[in-house]
Amino acid sequence: MLKVNNLMVFFENALALNDFSMEVKEGQIVGVIGSNSAGKTTLMNTLSGLIVDMRIKEIRRGGERITLYGKILFRDEDITATGPSERVRKGIVLCRERHPIFPESDVFENLKIAGYLQKRSMVLEMIQYVFELFPALAQLKSRKAGFMSGGEQQMLAIGMALVARPTLLLLDEPLLGLSPMMQNLLVDAVKSLRAKAGITVLLSEQFARPVLPIIDFGYILENGMLTLTGTGEELMENPEVKAAYFGV
Amino acid sequence: MLLGTLIYGFVNSTILALVAMGFNLTFGISGVANFAYGATYIFSGFLVWILLNSLGVPYFFSVVIAVICAALLGFLIYYVVILRVKGLALSEVMATFGLGLAIMELFRYFDFVGFRYTLPVFFDGSISIGDVYIDYQRLAIALIAMALTLFIYLFTHHTRIGLAFRAIAQDERTALTFGINSDRIGALSMAFGSALAAVAAIVILPLGTIAVEGGYDVLINALAVCIVGGLGSTMGILVASVMIGFAQTFTANYLEPHWMMLVSLIAIAVVLVVKPSGLFSHQKELEERI
Repeated sequence: MLKVNNLMVFFENALALNDFSMEVKEGQIVGVIGSNSAGKTTLMNTLSGLIVDMRIKEIRRGGERITLYGKILFRDEDITATGPSERVRKGIVLCRERHPIFPESDVFENLKIAGYLQKRSMVLEMIQYVFELFPALAQLKSRKAGFMSGGEQQMLAIGMALVARPTLLLLDEPLLGLSPMMQNLLVDAVKSLRAKAGITVLLSEQFARPVLPIIDFGYILENGMLTLTGTGEELMENPEVKAAYFGV
Repeated sequence: MLLGTLIYGFVNSTILALVAMGFNLTFGISGVANFAYGATYIFSGFLVWILLNSLGVPYFFSVVIAVICAALLGFLIYYVVILRVKGLALSEVMATFGLGLAIMELFRYFDFVGFRYTLPVFFDGSISIGDVYIDYQRLAIALIAMALTLFIYLFTHHTRIGLAFRAIAQDERTALTFGINSDRIGALSMAFGSALAAVAAIVILPLGTIAVEGGYDVLINALAVCIVGGLGSTMGILVASVMIGFAQTFTANYLEPHWMMLVSLIAIAVVLVVKPSGLFSHQKELEERI
């Protein structure tokens, strides 16, 4: 479904992603595991096309120079230079890190905004689906999103991404800053997304422990370089992963 | 005297709110301070005059054409000029201010000066409230200002484009992840703000003559209201226009009329010293609660 070939991303002279290749197959849950500053968010921004927009805006204001090499293929189509809104139309939707929501809008309005490219009837249908997936959100429907807790905001952020009707959902650190209970709830939600809605998921995370059991395939990223790949089980058994991420 | 001051103060407040609305809308959404705003205002006024008097177009169509042209002008300024320097605040201001100057002074160059440049009032006549006479035009201004405020609220909360406006205003990058094109929405916000300037011109200009200097006054008043109220905040605009509006009318009636223009400048200076982000700056409510 998604193929990344020899991707390199520079911010000025700093190399954020170095010769990174990966593949996501239809119906898989794929994980990218790495510590802080490993390049996870850069990868997600590059896959969602945000970096294309960032690059244009930096050029306009004479700011940071962003350089991209390599190729991103989605369903065998080269989308390396495609902008973010075109990629959303194709079905690649990113949920950014640190639960980005529109703080001054209420929950319902947030979800409506996320359905910008969808038909009205479809938006209402998807909002209904989100409320079924996260019943807690239904009760907070008219609460201003900025007043909600981190976990509630993360549920909303994922819900918003779903309203945009992804076929490939990119989740950037969905578990960041959440309680273990909330982490489990979200991990279950991701599993049910694949099972019930048939959405392919690519998630990046630094907490390997809750994530590794549910992923089909994982990539371990360090300083922008790929260090290890394998299925979820292989990675869990790997002594280096155990030492680095499980503290064993 | 007091009743009259209060009534005219209220009308003056609605005029200020009307003038500031478009400027505030564009800034709140795209972050661009449109200093060509006064020029758009004057441009629309002269355009209606030309359509009416030189080309003989009926009033209703002249007004519609002028509003559409103003919107197009705003849209073009955004795409042709602002996008090239987007993100450099000072360049944005210089580019739009320079363009505004050029437009306004071009009208002066082509001799659009004099008392014959007036727009027709909607209804002739006046009514009395107590012993104060007030013309229908000023009442119409008050009503239209209130109706437009309501319209903007409904538009930004219940239409697809309006919701995209709110999204871009709050978090541009997140809005991008839902396929909202920030450049297009920015240009639309500029078009919308310019159209509001045209509406303000059509409603307010019949009170006097269309003069190039009016464009500068409009820009200063819009700036004063937005700075006092807090840029980007609708509630701030309403409160600030009432404050400045009444202050101006009281100054004019109880001190000297020619000190009126000082009020907005003093208001800008005082607010910048005491509370630089404005009385109702953006997201204040959230900051205070957390």
